[in-house]
Amino acid sequence: MTPAPARESSAASRAARLIWAFGTLFMVLVLWQGVTVWWGWVSTARFPAPAEVVSALRQIAVDGYGNARLHEHALRSVLLVTSGFFVASSVGVVLGLAMGASRRVEAFVNPVFLLLRPIPPLAWIPLAIVWLGLGDAAKLMVIFVSAFVPSVINSFSGVRQIETPLFEAAAMLNARGWRYWKEVLVPGALPSIFTGLRLSLQASWTTLVAAELVGAIAGLGSILNQSAQDIYPAMIVVGMASVALCGWLMTLALGSIETRAMPWRAAP
Amino acid sequence: MANIQFQRVGRVFRQGGTEVVALEDIDLEVQDREFVAIVGPSGCGKTTCLRMAAGLDHATSGSVRVGGVEVKSPGPDRAVVFQQFALFPWKTVWDNIEFGLVSLGVDVAERRRRIEHYIALMGLAGYERAFPHQLSGGMQQRVAIARAYVLDPKVLLMDEPFGALDAQTRVVMQEELVRLARRHPRTVLFITHAVEEAVYLADRIAVMTRRPGRIREVIDVKSVRESERWDALERIEDVMDQPSFVHLRTHIWKLLREQQGEQAH
Amino acid sequence: MIGPPLAQRELLRLTGAGTFAFLALWSAAALSGITSQQFLPAPWEVLARFARLLTEPFAGYTLLVHLSSSLQRFAMGFALAVAAGLPLGLLMAHFRWIDRLVAPLFEAVRFVAPIAWVPFAALWFGTGIGGPVLIIFMGAFPPVLINTYRGAKFVEAKYLEAARMLGAGPWRTMTEVLLPAAVPSIVAGLRISAGLGWQSLVGAELIVASSGVGYMMVKGQAAVSTATVMSGMIAIGLVGLLIDVVLRRLHRHIEQRRGL
Repeated sequence: MTPAPARESSAASRAARLIWAFGTLFMVLVLWQGVTVWWGWVSTARFPAPAEVVSALRQIAVDGYGNARLHEHALRSVLLVTSGFFVASSVGVVLGLAMGASRRVEAFVNPVFLLLRPIPPLAWIPLAIVWLGLGDAAKLMVIFVSAFVPSVINSFSGVRQIETPLFEAAAMLNARGWRYWKEVLVPGALPSIFTGLRLSLQASWTTLVAAELVGAIAGLGSILNQSAQDIYPAMIVVGMASVALCGWLMTLALGSIETRAMPWRAAP
Repeated sequence: MANIQFQRVGRVFRQGGTEVVALEDIDLEVQDREFVAIVGPSGCGKTTCLRMAAGLDHATSGSVRVGGVEVKSPGPDRAVVFQQFALFPWKTVWDNIEFGLVSLGVDVAERRRRIEHYIALMGLAGYERAFPHQLSGGMQQRVAIARAYVLDPKVLLMDEPFGALDAQTRVVMQEELVRLARRHPRTVLFITHAVEEAVYLADRIAVMTRRPGRIREVIDVKSVRESERWDALERIEDVMDQPSFVHLRTHIWKLLREQQGEQAH
Repeated sequence: MIGPPLAQRELLRLTGAGTFAFLALWSAAALSGITSQQFLPAPWEVLARFARLLTEPFAGYTLLVHLSSSLQRFAMGFALAVAAGLPLGLLMAHFRWIDRLVAPLFEAVRFVAPIAWVPFAALWFGTGIGGPVLIIFMGAFPPVLINTYRGAKFVEAKYLEAARMLGAGPWRTMTEVLLPAAVPSIVAGLRISAGLGWQSLVGAELIVASSGVGYMMVKGQAAVSTATVMSGMIAIGLVGLLIDVVLRRLHRHIEQRRGL
């Protein structure tokens, strides 16, 4: 499982692991086909056969399902998440840095934070619906709330974990005002900031899917919703796979930004 | 004139209800261009003295002055070389050295000139674009020293700068520092617990007692060094072989031993 | 520099000011008459509603009964996740072939958000307890597995060598060496797992339940009773906090016993 220590990172062992991975997945496929079709242990009313999933995929990709085609659903969800995440984490990171840099700001903002923090993002959905209805505005609100908290927390701890000698060196070298933020605080906190961003993104994504499940016109979550209502297991699987795939891709994208933003780090 | 004056300096730490007297009645002057080392057992407060001169700590009684002016806060005129290097991990070697110069408002051409000079002097040529994590401890400390010298500071404050290095690197660094110090003489306050290092580097050595830290004795090394012509010798091991060196070193060890004897463990 | 910690009085003053500012803004917005009382109740109205819900039933049961319903499901899902994740993690850490077998499957399924299992949960369990439990399991299982695996896998080689030298077979190695060594990591994983499980529970109850705090909130939303919804949020937050505090104590206790 990832990440493992770099005990075996030779190309040969990597290839071996890939072969194992494919082998296992292939075996799973065979089992799947067997369990649902060949031996009939599980009725396809409860879990679809591989062939059914493929045809459902074709249907949604080409003809559309639930008001749109697959890529349109995906695009909608991804765009919503990205915009909400962007706004929320920008605000969150700035606030977190400010709280980290100033004990007074921390003391002032803390009470609100301690109040909001234990409430899981998904618990905001009913409130968002009451206030903003079933449209995109409510979705953005829950995305904002779920992305905001991890950004703040991690940016805050990012500043606080900067080692004291670095602060003292900065003071000795007269780093003030804008320079202090730009050349000491932010780079120092950057690794933690990115951890926060990763968590924010994951939270946003999960929350959006849930919000779309509860009610939406289009979006990946609405595929799940619609296919549940239609009792269309194959489409449910397509929906789940799409959710997983998009989530994974977004995390990858963030990861590559992270590596590029911090060229000074030793390779893990 | 860039001198450091400790006048009847005391430092008391208050933690919760208890009071700890870290320093008592410290009277010491580091004269212009003089290299003074403070040695003493762990916890004697020698680092606290340096930090007070740096503006990173303050005296609870008495005063600390640099160039006649009382020290209030840190700044590039009192450059510090930290034991843990304290280089910004996200900046290259060049940028790290440059950082303080930008704060001082030195213009680009002059910055370049100075940085290049010290990079050559400290043997960092070719590493300008490297990041700290790519360098060994010894190299990192060279960068830290360059960063301090490049500021053309009034005084240099070195807090056990070679403490985090392995023994061999340490020796190399000591030789280099001597070379640097003879070439660019400055006022230096140097903290160490390694007696030989102090005898090799310093003009005078202040020996401190255990907590509450007081100055036990100030030893003049320079006169011995000059009359015995240590500087004529190439290598550090030859210097350390000199009977005059051994004599001084042993004297200081004895002073430090007395401290241990006084305190029942 | 960050500077020293604030004096007690200053800290209290600023914290109080922050709390006050928040409540004042909220109350002002509520009282201003921009919206109805249903839509944006004042803080004290929410508290009053919360108190009433403790004894008056809403959507079928009182808040306390809803809470116990939710907690039951959580406990079941969490217990299942631990019962499955812990042994599997140990096995994967000790037997490389099991690792090779399970890991790709796990990685593939891992990115499916727990909430995405709702349709299948509804399909297989209707509004029975199985639905939420499945979703909680999906949320709580990965951290337990990952943390157990990591804790056991990165046991220092010298302990394993000692175990082999002393003649321990796989069972004893796993139970008497890997498991104890992995405990700090496992407990850390339990905290994360509990958090995720509790969250997934809330999500599940929004859709596939007929009781529980999430269900209560949905009904509150349908009735446009913000105070009810907020009461639910408070209840969820409080219980979540409690669970985390308990586990954090456990974590600290274990770390102290280990002398970490």
